[in-house]
Amino acid sequence: MADFVPNLMKQIVGKFPSGILVFIILTSLSAIAVAQFRLPINDRFESPVPPQVFWGRDTTEKSIKVDNSIILELCVAQGSVRVNGWNRSEVRVFVEDGNKFSFNIRDKDTRSGHPNWVNVVGYAGTKDKKGPTGDCISGNEIEIDIPVNATIKLKGHDINTTIDSIRKAEVKTGGGDISLRNIKGDISAFAGQGDIFIESSTGPIAIESTTGNIVVFDVGPGELGDPFKARTNSGTISLQSVQHRQVDVGSTSGSVSYSGSIRNGGRYNLFTVNGSIRMAIPPDSACKLSATFGSGRFISELAFDLETENNVGGPIKTIAGKYGKGGDAEVKLTASYGSISVRKL
Amino acid sequence: MNTDCLDIGLIQAFLDGELDHHQTARVSGHIELCDACTLLLAEAEEEISLVFPVLEREFDALVPTQRLWNKINDSIKTERDNRPFWEKAWTFISVSLASPSLATAASMVLVIAVFAGLWLNKTTVDVDQSQPNVARQTTMPTTAAPIAQPVVASNDSIDGDDKPVVARTGDRERQQPRRETVIQSLYKAPVTESAYMPGEENYIKTISTLTKTVDDQKSNGIMRPAERIAYERDMALVNDAIAKMKNEVRRNPKNDSAKQVLYATYQNKIDLLNSVAQKEELLVSLR
Repeated sequence: MADFVPNLMKQIVGKFPSGILVFIILTSLSAIAVAQFRLPINDRFESPVPPQVFWGRDTTEKSIKVDNSIILELCVAQGSVRVNGWNRSEVRVFVEDGNKFSFNIRDKDTRSGHPNWVNVVGYAGTKDKKGPTGDCISGNEIEIDIPVNATIKLKGHDINTTIDSIRKAEVKTGGGDISLRNIKGDISAFAGQGDIFIESSTGPIAIESTTGNIVVFDVGPGELGDPFKARTNSGTISLQSVQHRQVDVGSTSGSVSYSGSIRNGGRYNLFTVNGSIRMAIPPDSACKLSATFGSGRFISELAFDLETENNVGGPIKTIAGKYGKGGDAEVKLTASYGSISVRKL
Repeated sequence: MNTDCLDIGLIQAFLDGELDHHQTARVSGHIELCDACTLLLAEAEEEISLVFPVLEREFDALVPTQRLWNKINDSIKTERDNRPFWEKAWTFISVSLASPSLATAASMVLVIAVFAGLWLNKTTVDVDQSQPNVARQTTMPTTAAPIAQPVVASNDSIDGDDKPVVARTGDRERQQPRRETVIQSLYKAPVTESAYMPGEENYIKTISTLTKTVDDQKSNGIMRPAERIAYERDMALVNDAIAKMKNEVRRNPKNDSAKQVLYATYQNKIDLLNSVAQKEELLVSLR
């Protein structure tokens, strides 16, 4: 037995080249090392952390003389924002119970020499008074007065916004309602989680809400061909007196209602996956109408001149025909799981 | 948890978009009111978010038609039946060794086996110094044998009679063109029978890209629970509508209404994903 180990070693060395043994041992060790490897724990299941938004208790009011066609940009972390147009070449910003801010002049008008592009920049918090991160302002109430011919570009986290009587409004919010009135040039609004109300405005309109409702009343094009687009995922869309000729409206799980006239040469496209479509149009309306629906049905109070009806069976039906005579407007209604009705206005 | 709570199967079906819209509405309505089911839903979503990245390649792959799938499965079965035993064994070993743990175990077993073999055979090793050569000579036929053997087995199973090895080899050679034909037919299939309607592929690619973006954002925890539920519900609705329209178009390719609704629903899905992505981007930019 005493000679066994040396003999064995001698045999091993003699029969197997030491390179093979080293290779086997190294391979084993490498494999063990690889087997120990673990992917790092992914932090994607980290619980959602709401943004830390604090504001100081400062009430601040500042104003600046500007060009009439100014573009005012600002970011609001929290608060209620009211923007009003006025007939003065001046911007006034009032923040109640919020952080301090300043005007950052980005550009000046070459003729008047007054600023025509201004940012409202919030101060970051101090050790004693915390403020929102970035350049956002924050406060309990935020009031802004700008020239009626101004454009406002506002983005915010969780804010209620009201804008009245200016030329253009571009609003994007993560949460909170958006209310726009008397906007005469252009509207672009996106509400992450909130309702959108638009009233008495003209120009191209594009509005979108993720989970909110959309209500529009008395809007029209600023120029011929201005489009109207509205979309929500899980809200209802209600349109009344929309004078645009290009109307494109869609909801995923909400109903769509349209009440108003059908304009000659117009293109109206109303779509919903799981909801109904209700149209109320004047009895003397003249247009081509195509209604595609799934589990529901098509009801018309007006005399409908049926041209084609898709009778191939299956989960979807299409009815096409005309209202009145001589109308060249086209109305396309699609409700995958809902009913479609056309009533007299 | 109350007695009306949803079982996990129903929740999984809800997340997979397999429920019809009535059931979807019922489930989403219940989830809004029931904390226990909301928790179950969140857990199921976590599981899905773990599994989906692993299966992402499969999900991103283009979806062939059922007919093509059948053809592929038949061909795989034929190939598998005709495959020699040693190939199967080699495949099994290759796949097994791909796992680090098994590779470690195999290496350890190999090392131990070498030492154990030397230990047990020390007396014979002492006697014959030329055994490694002998061993090499004896292993030569055994390594060569499996090459011919499976061919015999496969031919026997096909022809049912004993044939000389030469004839078997010939049979094997004759089988080769048949395999090539099968493979060629597989490659030809997508050319002769398109899996998509015109333009549909673009929608699917766009949706795939957007879904990835939204899923990344979802996993980052930006979306609030209520929003996630609304999003999942809407996605389930849209997916259900797409599935129904696709089935209808397959059943009746001349149904233009179904095609029209299918495209509109694809567009709606893109809009839905876009709006969610847009919101998340906005919130991230405000952080």
